[in-house]
Formats: sequence, structure tokens, C-alpha cells
Amino acid sequence: MPPRPSPNPSLRALLQQQFPKATVPATGSLAVGDIREWDSLGHFNYLMLVEETFDVRFSVEEMAELKGLDQIAAALASRGVEL
Amino acid sequence: MTKTTLRVCGSSHLLPGAPAWARLEPQWALVFGDFADWPTALRTASADPLLWILTLEDVSAPESLEGLDAGALDDALATLMAPLEARLAASTQPTVVAWTAWRPQSAIASARRPSSWSRATRRLETALYGLAAQRVALHLVDLDAALAIDGLAAAFDSRNFYAASCRFSRKGLARVVAAVEPVLQRIVAAPKKVLVLDCDGVLWGDVVGEVGVGRIVLGGDGLGRAHKDIQRAARRLGQTGTLLALASKNTAADVWEAFDRHSDMVLTRDDIAAWRIDWSEKAANLVEMAKDLDLGLESFVFLDDNPFEREKMRLALPQVTTLEPLADVTTWPALIDGLDDFARFDATAEDAAKAQQYRNRAAFADAQRSAGDETSFLAGLAMEASSSPLDATTLARAEQLAAKTNQYNLRGARHTAAELDALAASPTTVAFLTRLRDRFGDHGAVGLTIARVAGDTAFLDSFLMSCRVLGRHLDAWMLGRLAARLQGCGVRWLFAEFRDSGRNAVAADFLAAHGFVPWRGHDGDPRRCAMASLSAIEGELYLADLDTLVIPHLDLFHAPETQPQSEPPRALAAAVP
Repeated sequence: MPPRPSPNPSLRALLQQQFPKATVPATGSLAVGDIREWDSLGHFNYLMLVEETFDVRFSVEEMAELKGLDQIAAALASRGVEL
Repeated sequence: MTKTTLRVCGSSHLLPGAPAWARLEPQWALVFGDFADWPTALRTASADPLLWILTLEDVSAPESLEGLDAGALDDALATLMAPLEARLAASTQPTVVAWTAWRPQSAIASARRPSSWSRATRRLETALYGLAAQRVALHLVDLDAALAIDGLAAAFDSRNFYAASCRFSRKGLARVVAAVEPVLQRIVAAPKKVLVLDCDGVLWGDVVGEVGVGRIVLGGDGLGRAHKDIQRAARRLGQTGTLLALASKNTAADVWEAFDRHSDMVLTRDDIAAWRIDWSEKAANLVEMAKDLDLGLESFVFLDDNPFEREKMRLALPQVTTLEPLADVTTWPALIDGLDDFARFDATAEDAAKAQQYRNRAAFADAQRSAGDETSFLAGLAMEASSSPLDATTLARAEQLAAKTNQYNLRGARHTAAELDALAASPTTVAFLTRLRDRFGDHGAVGLTIARVAGDTAFLDSFLMSCRVLGRHLDAWMLGRLAARLQGCGVRWLFAEFRDSGRNAVAADFLAAHGFVPWRGHDGDPRRCAMASLSAIEGELYLADLDTLVIPHLDLFHAPETQPQSEPPRALAAAVP
């Protein structure tokens, strides 16, 4: 049986939403700085978009430490969010 | 559309790129300053409009204000106000200060006397509004009132502050931008003028043509009370200059019977400036009412309870603002009270009288159609014109006229309030407003004339007149008044420019018909040099010799029985050789 598609938007789709003029690679790991527009300020805005989308809240430490999509996915999984 | 640059600075980080700012981006090119250096932004960005988002706690530590008396509090706030005052002195560009002083405080600490923080907040508010009273370029937004809509605690986010130096939550920042957006919008665009109301389902519940006047839902408790409050809210708008109109698919006699006979009606026939009550499409009826009132459809706001009618209006007339109310009618009185579309920075006496003036205009048009001879018709109007100086009491009306007059406007000049303020204060300017009264009523201040003077030469900087009084030759009176004042100052040559704005064809023939001739002066003509010092010319330049100028139609006007305040002596006479 094939895996059920997740009802949640992917973190890449949210990245595209945050940086509409950027070209977000479809595969591979991604972190702050891999896209020109994705600087520290853009990353803060992106994390807030992730929070709003999945109705979660990151701590002040997480806002500083979550730099890549894999880390963010893990932080969401720890809160029971299925991607 | 060309975007206007808007400098944005804050006392803490404002998260450029956050979706909240997208709301301003269609109109404004946002340029964010360094949040840590807002005083420099205030002092240096004088060429552009500026938005300053101020959090009092960023600039005044609470402990530094503890125990200070009123004078010491003002001294502490003076440091904060100095860069703002410097900007306002250096720039006529709009400045919007959106400020918040909210911070969590124990209710116990202010149960017996206001806390130092509360007192500082009030002193700040007083200081800001005191400054706004002196500086017309300053506009204030009380963010605490705006943020309270969703709850102040939810508007701020300590995590964002410690992680990114931003005081606001994502939603709070969105609310901040939503609060400043209408103020920025009103700086560049005039308010809407007409609220068009449906009757059944809006002014009252149920369908008057089916249930009869006695059974419509109006007054009493419940929904009837809400409908009555909708009428009250609409009437408040009418009392401050918004025109009220009716667009109703109904039998007219049924609607007017409700107006005349239902004891809980708040609106009266006199409150309604235009109406179409029939079975035609409402879009077509709005087009007709716009013609009646001589207003553009972009000045219209439409409120209807029927989603189908609203959708049809949006499709047929996208330039009309069609409101999208919630289904719950009890929210509509607050919806009308909170509309930004009609709000003004300064409501003037002219605004309040506007509905009556538009009715006068309709009566004038009727009488003109039925009169045979124009000269005897105009002579019978008993027109009384008078002028008032441009000063603090008339500036708001002058700004309105300058902002709104598109048709009878020789140069399409668009002076801001700050520019008008500067012109009024200049010793080499002759500027006045013109009022008109006739047997159709007092039309209020309907004309603005500004001339700049250099030696024996003057240039007609602004010459504009409300379309409400077209066809009465009031423009001739304004020119006559100006000529007399200029001659009193030693001026002989009056230059004037007609600049085709695409909308002012009605004024195209004025200069040639009133003694001006096209001017093609040679390079050695000394008047060319004087003219060049007064203004750059893009349109057709005309010249009149005031010594020989004969202005027609002046005999149509009578001196008012009680002359309003005449212009005070100006320094101009001394400034002109």
C-alpha cells in the first residue's frame, strides 16, 4: 500500500511562499543561506510562517538553532505534526 | 502605477519581508531604516514621506521615569521628541507616527494613583498632539487602540523581542500595518463622498412592499434595534459631510411611506441627497445618481444586504466600493461607524453642509433649465461673493479644494496642507478663498486663488473652483478680486498657465475669455526673467495687463450684507517695490 499523502503543505512549499521570487530546489537538504533571499531575517519570517501554518510555537532557543529543513521537520515531528 | 517612496523606521525591529508589509506594497516603495538609529532616519529622510513606529519602552526605560514630576517627565520626553521636531521643521513631506506605550503593569500599582508609566504615556500623547496642532504634515496613530481590537497581550511577543528585537507578534505587526494603512491612504487620496444604501434588509428588516410599513422590522429590541442603529450610524456620516443615497428595488411610494410614517425611522427625506427606487439594475441607477450629483463613481460606497446584488455591482462597476458585511446584521452599525472610506483628518463646516449644497445644486440646475435668458437668470440669483484669507482657520478647506478639484483647475495644482501653510505665510504670496451665497443657499468656500509675486509681475499659481458653482461666472469675480489686490501691491503684469490635465477642459477657455493673451515674450523681455523666477511652465502661458484689463460679468455680484473677515494687511506691500 503506497504511503498516504500528507495533508500538510511541505516545508519547501512554505519556503516558496516566503520567498516567492526564489527558485526552491525540489530535492536535497536545504538550510539558511542556500537560497539568496534566505538570510537570517528571512529565516525568522519563515519560522513564523511555519509556526502559523502548523499552529505550533518554537522557543527562543529553537528560533536560533533551527537552521535547516531537516531540523525544522524534526522539531515539528516532536510536536506530533505529520509532514 | 508609480509607487511613492515611504521611509519606515522603528524604535525596534520591524521584520521587513514579513507578510504584514505586503499590504502597503501596491502603493508604496518601502525603504526600511536601521531600527537602532531611528533619530538619524528622522533627521535625514526629509525628501520622502516617513512612517515611524515608536514603542515608548524602547526609548524610555520605565525605571528612568519612576517618581518624576510633570516637568521632569516632559524633559525626559523632550529627548525623544527632538528628532521628530527636527524632521517636521525640515520637511513638508507627510510624517506618520504610530506609537504604543503598552506594557504589562499590575492593576494594584495604579489603583490609588496613576503610575509613573501611565503619566508618561499621557504626557507623550499630549506632546504628540500638541506638535500635530502646529505641524500639518504630522499624523498620529494610537497603536494601543488599534492593537486592543485583538487584545494587547496577543499583539506583542516577548520571544520575538529576545530572538529578533521585534516587539510585535506576527499578528500584532499585521494589525500595526492595518492601522497605519488608511492614514497613509488618506494622505494621498480624498475620502469617498456617497454612501448608497439599500432599504429592505438594511434600513429596516423584511420587505416593505410585502409586509407593509407597519410590519417592517425597525425599532424595539433585537434586530429592529440594530436596523435603527444602522440608520443612526448612516445619519452620523451624513452630518459630517457624506452624502447618503438610496438604491432600492421597490415601489417608491412604499419606501417614502416608511420614511414619512414609521415612528422609528431615524433618517428623513432631507437626509437623502439622491435616490433611485425602482426595478432597474442598481449599477445603472448608480451611474445616473453619479451624473445627478456630478461625482465620479469612484466616490461611491455601496451597502446592500443581498450578496447577489453586491456581486453584480462589483462586476458592473468595479470602481464603486462595494462593502462585504457579515451576515449578522447586528455588526453593521459598527461596520458603518468604523468605515475608513469617509473619514477625514479635519472635518470642516463645509463638510457638514455638503448634502444641502448638493441639493441646492440640483435645484439650480432645474431652475437654469426652465429659465430662458441666462443673463437675467443669473442677475436674479442675487449672488454675494466674498473672500477670506488663507490662514489656520481656512487651511483645512483650502487643502480639500486643492486635493479634490479636478475639473475647474487651471493648472491641476495639488498643494499639500504643508505647502499651503508655507504659501500662506509667504510675504510674496496673495492667497484667498472665495465664498458664494445666492438665493439657492450658502455654498460655502468654493474657490481658491493663489498668486506669487516678483516685482511688478505675478503668476497665477492656483486658480480652482468647485464644480458645484459652475455656470455663475464666479471665476470672473475671483479674478477681479485678485487683480484689485495685486494692483494694490504694485503689480501690473499677471501671468497665468493653462495646463491640460485631461480633466480640466471646462477651464480651458477662461483665460482667453477674460482678457489674457497667449504670451510669446522674447528672451530680452524683463518679464520673462521675473516669470522664470516664479514657476516652471509646462502648459500654455498667458499674460494680462492689469492696467487695461476689463473683466466681464462682475456686475452680477453684490457685496455681502455682512462681509466676512477681510484679509489682514500683508507684508506683501512692503516686500514689493
